[in-house]
Parts: sequence; structure tokens; C-alpha cells
Amino acid sequence: MNPAWTVISAFAGALLVLLLPARSAMLARVIALAASVVGAVAAVACCLHKLSHPDSPKWEFDAEWIPQLGSRFHLAADGLGLALLLLTGVVAVAGVLFSWNVERRPRAFFAWYMTIIGGVYGVFMSRDALLMFVFYEVVILPKYMLISIWGSTNKEYGAMKLTMYSIAASALILIGLVVAYAAAGGTSFDLEHLASANYSAGLQYWAFPILFLGFAVLAGIWPFHTWAPTGHVAAPTAASMLLAGVVMKLGAYGALFVAMPIFEQGFQEWRLAIALLAVAGIIYGALTALAQKDLKFVIGYSSVSHMGFILLGLAAANMWGLRGAVLQMISHGIVAGLLFGIAGRVVYERTHTRDLGALQKFDLWRSLPGAAFAFTLATAASMGLPGFSGFVAEISVVIGVWQASPWLLLGVAAGIFVTGAFSLRAMQRAFFPVRNPDAGDPPKLDPLTWPEISAIALLLLVSVAIGVYPPPWMELIDNGLHSTMFDTIRTLP
Amino acid sequence: MNYTALFLQLLPEAVLVIAALVLMGVAVATQSRKKRPPTVDVVIAITALGIAAAGFALYRCPGDINCGSTLIVMDPLARLFKCVVLMLGMLAALLAPARGEIRHPGEFYALLLFALVGLMLTVGTTHLLFLFVALELASLSLYLMAGFSGTPRAAEASLKYFLFGGVSAAFLLFGLSLVYGFRHSLELPVIAVALTNGPLPPFAVAGLVMVVVGLGFKLAAAPFHYWAPDVYQGAPATSVGLVAAASKAVGVLVMVRLLVVGFDAAGGSALWGAFKPGWTLWLGVLAAVSMIWGNLLALAQTSVRRLLAYSAVANTGYLLVALSANGPKAAGTALFYVVVYGLSTFGALAVTAGVERDRGDDSVGSFAGLVHRSPLQALALLVFLTSLAGIPPLAGFVGKFAMFSEAMAASATPESAGLVWLVGLGAVMSAVSFYYYLKVMKQAFVREPADPSPVDLHWAHRMAMLVPAVLVVLLGLFPSLLLAPVSRALEETLRGW
Repeated sequence: MNPAWTVISAFAGALLVLLLPARSAMLARVIALAASVVGAVAAVACCLHKLSHPDSPKWEFDAEWIPQLGSRFHLAADGLGLALLLLTGVVAVAGVLFSWNVERRPRAFFAWYMTIIGGVYGVFMSRDALLMFVFYEVVILPKYMLISIWGSTNKEYGAMKLTMYSIAASALILIGLVVAYAAAGGTSFDLEHLASANYSAGLQYWAFPILFLGFAVLAGIWPFHTWAPTGHVAAPTAASMLLAGVVMKLGAYGALFVAMPIFEQGFQEWRLAIALLAVAGIIYGALTALAQKDLKFVIGYSSVSHMGFILLGLAAANMWGLRGAVLQMISHGIVAGLLFGIAGRVVYERTHTRDLGALQKFDLWRSLPGAAFAFTLATAASMGLPGFSGFVAEISVVIGVWQASPWLLLGVAAGIFVTGAFSLRAMQRAFFPVRNPDAGDPPKLDPLTWPEISAIALLLLVSVAIGVYPPPWMELIDNGLHSTMFDTIRTLP
Repeated sequence: MNYTALFLQLLPEAVLVIAALVLMGVAVATQSRKKRPPTVDVVIAITALGIAAAGFALYRCPGDINCGSTLIVMDPLARLFKCVVLMLGMLAALLAPARGEIRHPGEFYALLLFALVGLMLTVGTTHLLFLFVALELASLSLYLMAGFSGTPRAAEASLKYFLFGGVSAAFLLFGLSLVYGFRHSLELPVIAVALTNGPLPPFAVAGLVMVVVGLGFKLAAAPFHYWAPDVYQGAPATSVGLVAAASKAVGVLVMVRLLVVGFDAAGGSALWGAFKPGWTLWLGVLAAVSMIWGNLLALAQTSVRRLLAYSAVANTGYLLVALSANGPKAAGTALFYVVVYGLSTFGALAVTAGVERDRGDDSVGSFAGLVHRSPLQALALLVFLTSLAGIPPLAGFVGKFAMFSEAMAASATPESAGLVWLVGLGAVMSAVSFYYYLKVMKQAFVREPADPSPVDLHWAHRMAMLVPAVLVVLLGLFPSLLLAPVSRALEETLRGW
């Protein structure tokens, strides 16, 4: 199987669902599941193939597209891309399973959902800046629709805020790309061509922050992160999983794969600023999460904190830092998906509240033991305990930062400490409350359904797999990082 | 003068005139009280037949035809844009008026055909005076069409359009007469050759500025846009469709022909830090004002037609960014964009007209729940508005992206940031515009309808909506289908000079 099946299956699934006759909810679900499974299986198969044949050439598809602009329909997938495709595939399948019970306009729901998946796959494989931008922007409108139609809690406001931030960030990216295109001779949008061109230092100094910020806003860089918690809380479960789990990674990926290789001198100038913002985000996100009352908001702000690690790894710009950043993309994608899935779907659908105080009376560890168990493991993964993916990712970033500028680790340590505090607080309040023994039995809740159990198991499995045995993942990521595009970055002082 | 060639070149226009005369004949013949006036369906059929026949005549016109005059030329650019005018005109004709909106459909559609003749002649000439006459033929027909439904709003629209248009025509004519003084010729090739030998004298520069003002009126560039909102709101949808799409495409083509091809040597510079007086700087300022003013005012609109009018102002701004780069590649992308913009905005107008006829007004709120009432219309609206907002994979995105990147590429030098001030402004303002398009889409897709009954549409109206929707998607996925012929036509035309 080749990686193209990921994009094809997602867009074909979206189109197929849209063409279904009305009132065929079950068929829509099944098609969405089948399409996302095909994508995930293709990604897994390609990863396994890459691991067993490390020297095989990377898969590529290169066709003429808009010759007048020097843009080609150029897709390729090296190890790094494959690992991210795998992440997308897993979260996509889990998201469909968690939205099995969507009854309201299911065809439209799954059509928009599969469109996001297709766009994300496309970004991870594009080797042409214009093509990548197209896939990147395809995601924006479905995000709005998913949140504003199927969301909860202030959904129209959250959707509009998230969308306007995304679109403003895209405007910055557009400016950056167009400037790079023009300065590189105005002949090609090929990413390697743009990365190998010579730009004057003055141009890089002002063009890099524009391009980088455009991507970093989507990655939730502090202080431009406020759209993320609002939007992700308002979104329906599957969309929160997808947005926090995968779509935010598009920003980080773009920063790593587009902004940094193109304007590497500019990156060098702004590196410290990025690192400081990243640390600020780690601490600020964790502290804010500590003060939240809504379980989903806790997860939303924890995402901001965790995304800070990615940006910090990028700013460290050495092998460990970059590797850790990508590992954190994957790890946080899985863990955020898991946390949002449990909080938004498993708990909220049964209790109809996410308020940490109100959840106490449900005594969830007794009335919903499966969810409590899963949430505990997810919290452990999110805190970065050994044995879970979060540990591997964060330790790699920490090593990278230690090699680059050790004093930043003071801030990181503070962030990790607060992360532990808010994670334990939220878990204890929501699932293991101290109850008044005279209060009587907690209300009966429906047990976990099969789609929920399988989605939770799938995500936990991947997180533990990374945490217990990281070498294959690192091998995949290193394969991508050793490409010529990153040569100049890895050799930065 | 080769008269056979002249005949063949003018055949498409002649066919349109004949069709218009037939329509007027039918209208007169059925004027008496006993007979019923021709139904709208019959009139549309005759019009469509006439346009199709003109298209066929254009298609059969040999490629390297030359009648030996600058009055009527058939260079590749003219051929392509005559085609575009016919296509957009056909769409406008299909956008059938509401029942009882137009009392004399025969005359109305005859005027539509005359407007098309004017636009086509404008496209196919390099003689400045003839250009003016042809443009006025189109404009006069459009003024009348704007007021044809006879409501007070339409009358206001028509009068405003006429007054502003008249002033702009005066500017254009005065500007052209000053340009004439430069080389005592109104033939653009003669002037272009003379320009290579020396700079323009000051009075000719002043003339050029006036020409740009005159064309700015036609294109609804701010601050010359005041007629646009009232015309978009008050005139019959068919007329607005013609003004918004075909007339705009022709306006941009004239600008390209006149400025980028003819007066490129008098361009000056709009590059940041290297400003030099000339028409590019003047266009750059107009572009900036149009983008800011159009987008900000569009935010405040509640009537979707007015919203589209301000979006037209903003889009003129984007187009002028590409033109102010004064490069053939950038101009080619502007020509591409004006076509896909025309399709998108025309489609949006068609959907709006459908909603308006059903609900009685065109406020944003009347779109509520459109997806439940008419999924096809809602989907078409989604395509058009996202294309206008510049979201891929639709044609509007490719067009805007191409314009911005080619404007930068034509202007970037190692020393100066080039047009980044305009391109950056355009990108940011384009992000702002997404808000007001999203406002309409929110009503159509998120809100529940007040009255869930399905919407009924005339078959021709349905066609006028679906054809542009398909084209916008197709050109978004495969932009080269149009971008390649446009660039080739522009190159060949430039080479012919």
C-alpha cells in the first residue's frame, strides 16, 4: 500500500457520505469508519515497510499542476511524514468511534470530518508550498462548521474565534510564502527549491517572524493561544480530538518544515524569542489549567502547555530537540485525543456536565470505572510518566534544551511541576471525589459502549507502545530529519 | 482595408445585434392589447440562441485574421475575452427576472444584447476613441437596464449609476484627449512606440491619471465606488449580474491593454521605498484604499446585495495590486482572477436573487437554514462565498494567490521589499473579508429556518447558479485550464506589438 491511500480514502469518504440519500445515518458512520480505517491501515503498513526496509527510497508522486506559477502536485512521504500520517490515521479512527452516536445531520458531520482528515494528510505529504497551503486551508471551513453546528458551550463564539485566528494566521503564512517565492526568483514553489535559495539577511530578519508566526498561531504559541481552549471546548468531541490532536500539529509541522528551512538565518536571529515564548506557554498554560472549573477547559489549557514543548524543541534546533518536538506532536496528538474523548464523549454524554464540582456527585470511579481507569492512564501519559509516550517526548526535548541553553530548563521544570498539579487535581475532582458517606448511592450511568472501549484501547495502545519501546519511532523521525532540508538547521551553533 | 476580414471579425457582434432586433420586433408585434406579451421563457430562449450563435461565429473566426485597422482587432486577448463576455452574458441572461419584475422583457433583453455588443467591441480595439464609444454603448445600455424594473429603488440606482458614469466618461474622454496631444494619434500602438523614445510630457501624464480615474469609476475602485452599493441593491438581478461580472472583466482588460501593454514605459514605480510617479503608484494607492474601504464597509452590511457590492470594491483592490506590478505575468493573473471573480460573484448574486424572491428581502437573516430548504442552493452559495473569500480548493483562492505571488515576483529586488506593502495589506484584508462571508454562510448552514418549506426556482435560474459553481470548482482544482490560455494570449498579444 502506498501513502496516497490516506488522502484518497479521506476525500473519497467525504464525497461518498455527502452523496448518500437522507436518513442513512448508519451508512454514513460505516463509510466514515471504513474510510478512516483504510487511511490508518495504509499509514501503518507504510511505517512498517519503512522500518523493515530503511534504505528504500521515499515514496513520491510528482505531477504537473500549475506550470504558470511553478507549482507542482508533489507529494512525498519520508519516515517523519509517515509517523505523522500514522498519528492522523489513529486519531481519525478513534474520532469516528467516539462520534458513533451523532444523530443530528450525520451525513454532513462525517463529510466535514473526513474533509479535515484529508486536508491534514495532504499537508503532511506536500512537498510544494502552494499545494501544502491548499491542504492547510481546506481544513478551515470544516472546523467552523463542525464547531458551530454540532458544538456546545458558546459554540458560535468559539467557532468564529478559532476560525478568525486560523484565517489571520493563514494570511501571515501567505505573505511569508509569497515573499519567499518572489525572492527565490519567482519560478517555483517547490519546498526544497525555496529552502536552498539564498535570501538576504535583512529579508530573512523580517520575513521569518511573519511566516513562523503564521504557523505558530495554529500551534497555540503564547500569547496567541486563546482561540485554542475556547474553540476546543466548544467543539463536539470528535472535532476537539481532531483539532487539538492533529490540526494544531499542522502549525508545528509547518514551522518545522516550511518556516525554519526556508529562512534559517532569520530563525537563528529569532530563536531565543521563540524559546522564551514556548516556556511562557508551558508555564502559563499549566497555571491556567490549574484554575479551571470545566474539565474540557483543563484539557484545553493543558494542550497549550504541551504545545509549548514542541515549540521549545524546535527552538533548541538540535537533533534531540527536533526529534523530541516531533515525538511530542505524536504523543500529544494521541493523549489529547484520549482526554478529549473521555471528557467530552464518555463522561459528558452521560452526566451532561463537565463542571468539576458538579461531577463529584456522580462518583465516577464507582459509577463509570472503565472511564476512570482510562482517564487515569491518560493523565499519567499527559503528565509524562515513564512508560507513556509523553515521557519519551518530553525527555527528548529536555535533552535538546540542555544541549542548547540549559538555563531554560528552570522554566521547564516549573512547568512540569504545575502540569502534575493540575492533572492530578482535575483527575481527583472529576473521578475520585471524597464523598460524604451519607449521600447515598451515586446515580446509575450506562456502561461504556463498544465503540468507546475500542477507541480508548486504540489510543492507549499507541501511547504505551511509544513509551515502552521508542526506537522504531525515533528511527522513522530521524529518517525525515536527516533530509537535506534540515542540514543547515541541525548545524546551527 | 480587408473587408472580408472585417466582416468575419464583426460577425459575432452583428449576430447579437440581429438577435436584439428580433427581440424588439417581437416586443413591438405583441404590443397591442389583444395579444399577450411574449413570456420570459421565449425571450430568454431567443437571447440565449443569439448569444450561442455569436459564440459560434467567434469560434469559426480564423485565428490570424487582420483587417488592417486598429479600430477592430482580433488578437488572442480580444478573442479570449470576447468569449468570456459571451459566457458571462449568457449566464446573466439565464438569471430570469422574477414574475412581474420586468414588464417589457423583449426590450430588456434587447438592451442586454446591446450591452454585450458594446463590451465585445471594447475588448477588440486598440483605438482610444473607438474604445470610448464602445464603452459608452455598453454603459448606456447598463444604465437603462439598472432602472428597468421601475421601482423607486431601481430608479435611484439607475440615476446614480448614470450620473456617476457620466462624470467618469467625461474624465475618460478628457484624459484621452490629453493623451492625444502627445503624439497626435489615438492609436495605441503608435503611442507605445513613441513612448520608447522618451518620457511622457506632464500634460499626457495628467491625461493618463484622468483615464485611470474614469476606468476606476467603471471598476468601482474606492473612492469612486459610490454608485455600486445602490446599483447592486436596487437594480434587477440580471442587470447586476452583468455589471458585476462581464463589465468588470472588460474594465480590467481595458486597463491591461491600455496601461500594461500600451503605457508600460510611463508606469513609474509603486515599490516600497522606491516610489516614482506614474500610473502604477496611482493604481497602488487606489488598490490600498479599495481593499481597506471595501472590506471594512462590507463588515457592517446587513443586505447581502450591498455586501457583495462592497466586496466588489475590495476585489477591485486586489486586482489593482496585480496591475500595479506592471508585469505581463502579473497582468495575466489579474485577467484570470477577474474571470473567476466574475463567476463567483455572479453565482453569489444568483443565489441571493433566489433567496430574495422566496423570502421577499435579501437581508443576511433571510438565508437562515437555506441548507434545509434548498441543499443545492446552499452548496452553491458555499462554493461562491468561499471562492470569494479565497479559500482553496476554489478558483478564487488560486486567482488571489497567483496575483499576489506574481505581483511580488514582478517587483521584488534585493534592495527593496517591492510591493509587499500592498500584498501584505491584501492578504490581511482578505482574512478580514472571511468574516462577512462566514456571516452569510453561518445563516445558511448553522441556523434553523423560520419556514422549512423548500425553495422553488426557475430552471434557467438554476442553470445560472450551477454552471458557475461547477466552473469555480473545476478552475480551482485545475487552474491551468484558464490560466494557460490567458497567459498565452497575453504573451502573443505583447509579441504582436
